Amino acid sequence: MSPDVLAGIAQASGFFVLLTTAVGVFIGLTVGMIPGMTISTGIIVLLPVTFVLPADISIALLLGLYVGGMTGGSFSAVLLNIPGTPSASATALDGYPLSVNGEAGRALGIAITSSFIGGIISFLCLLFIAPLLAEVALSFRTEDMFALVFFGLTIICSFASQSLVKGLLSGVIGLAIVTIGQDPVMGTQRFTFGEVNLIGGIHFLTAMIGLFAIPQLVSNLADAAGGTARIQTKLKSVLPHLRDLKAIRVPVTIGSLTGAFLGILPGAGGPIAAFISYDYTRRISKHREEFGKGAVEGVAAPESANNAVTGGALIPMMTLGIPGDPVTAILIGALIIHGLAPGPLMFTERGDFAFGLIFSFFWANIFNFIIALTALRVLVKLLAAPRSLLMPTVAVLCVIGSFALRNNFFDVYVMLFFGLVGLAMRWLDMPVVPLLLALVLGVPLEENLRVALTSSQGDISIFFSSPIALTFLALSALSIIWSLRAAWLRQRASPPSPKESSP
Amino acid sequence: MRRRNIIAALVLLVIGLGYGVLTSQLPTRSLPDTPGPPFFPWINTIVILSLSATLLLQGLVGAGGSTPSFAGARCRTTWALGAFVVYLMVLPGLGFIVSTAPFFAALMILFGELRLLRVAVGAILATLFLYLLFRHGFGVFLPAGLLKGIVP
Repeated sequence: MSPDVLAGIAQASGFFVLLTTAVGVFIGLTVGMIPGMTISTGIIVLLPVTFVLPADISIALLLGLYVGGMTGGSFSAVLLNIPGTPSASATALDGYPLSVNGEAGRALGIAITSSFIGGIISFLCLLFIAPLLAEVALSFRTEDMFALVFFGLTIICSFASQSLVKGLLSGVIGLAIVTIGQDPVMGTQRFTFGEVNLIGGIHFLTAMIGLFAIPQLVSNLADAAGGTARIQTKLKSVLPHLRDLKAIRVPVTIGSLTGAFLGILPGAGGPIAAFISYDYTRRISKHREEFGKGAVEGVAAPESANNAVTGGALIPMMTLGIPGDPVTAILIGALIIHGLAPGPLMFTERGDFAFGLIFSFFWANIFNFIIALTALRVLVKLLAAPRSLLMPTVAVLCVIGSFALRNNFFDVYVMLFFGLVGLAMRWLDMPVVPLLLALVLGVPLEENLRVALTSSQGDISIFFSSPIALTFLALSALSIIWSLRAAWLRQRASPPSPKESSP
Repeated sequence: MRRRNIIAALVLLVIGLGYGVLTSQLPTRSLPDTPGPPFFPWINTIVILSLSATLLLQGLVGAGGSTPSFAGARCRTTWALGAFVVYLMVLPGLGFIVSTAPFFAALMILFGELRLLRVAVGAILATLFLYLLFRHGFGVFLPAGLLKGIVP
């Protein structure tokens, strides 16, 4: 076994790292479960804590939250028919009918077990695929890296659910924002207006806290009157029966493999994996008429899929530095804060840390299974936590998080500015995820583009003479064409709106 | 939705033009036949203007419509954002505890908690807990402000 792997196991299995992983899982289960809180919001509120903790402990905490959050989303989906996270939407289709039939414990037991299996399968994918991919990526030259980052950016199209133009606009605004500060090649100051705080550019974590958390708080204000959720059922036995375990073998296999594969593809994400695996399981089922009325297979397939996505999404993040979703984008930010840039060099320069991260992911799945099963009854009570206490806490944590980044109030004002931008974008129905991804990928995009063009003395054929670059550019073109086609089909399917809707 | 598309397009056209003007003022020092500091901003400018023009066209001809995703609670939202702005303005001077407790209380009320005793106790305890946790637990130098020398 490689010394890096052994060092990684040792790093991930230290007492404090394990403890933090377990704490992260507990917080993740809680955050994922509470409607109105997302995994991204949970990670954002934990960010200030990670700034002061060592890198291995910070990343263990965040990974625990990521894994726990995916499972936690299914709790409210089953008990309240309100998915705690978008990835748990498919789980509600059969989980809630089971809950209505008095089998909430059975549904949750299946969800937890399926999540565990999905997570472990994706851990194996991460363990075996990530080092190989990183080795391949080491041979990439600047033109290849540019094409790869460009391909990563075309996932913007998949987040532009309503309007491709708005999604692209959101992305290019993000690219414009990253040009504030010193230019990455020559160090020339751009758009700083003499402001010292802008020389280093706008930290994307500050921007992200504002973009995600403030609109989230405001949208929670809209239904603040009730304050708490009402739980409809009491839980009986949570441990799945043997006959249920037999019944979910095939759905869990389908879900795990679908989730791990789609997780690797930037932009696909948990909700898509969950619905695809649900649909496929339903199609091949011998009793498909039971789906939607409380079929355990209908809970197992999406739950294994959305947890398998987590390990899959870590593969491009760790090996290529390309985030597949907002959560992995935030994880990149958390790693950069600690001076650890994700990418192919991570496995050669900090192999111990890279494998430590992978094994922390493994432990996160183990703790997720144990904590979810044993503490389910306590966790479910947290669904009734008063939002009037929770949301102000989130607001104050946003302020602390943006301040703690550099002990600077300027960052807090930047956070508020981006919060207002996020609100404006929501009002204008523009997606914010493309902007976030552009903030992460903008600097490497510009840097690789300019270095490649400098080395070719301005000859753009450099991008078409490298087979790797050509492949990624072709994939980018395919991704855009696919999104254009989807947008066209959507437009054809939806009836025209004759009147302006109220603002 | 058409009106929102037109508003968004016009705002972005203005932003794109402003960005382009600022880009034209950037220093252009670079080697011959190589892209300089304004190279990437120029690409952004062209893309922003092109896409904004497309969005404007879509808005004018009625395409690209969709259900608005954000509505309601306008009054509460305005109050919450106002409280946020005031809070951030007074935070450096008054310090974390003195400014956070009223802000927290205001948000609790806006989020539906109307029992004033609970609001007061919740706001003060939560503020003190967060202050002590981050200041002493995690070493974040939250400003003590008016309470400098009184609180640890």
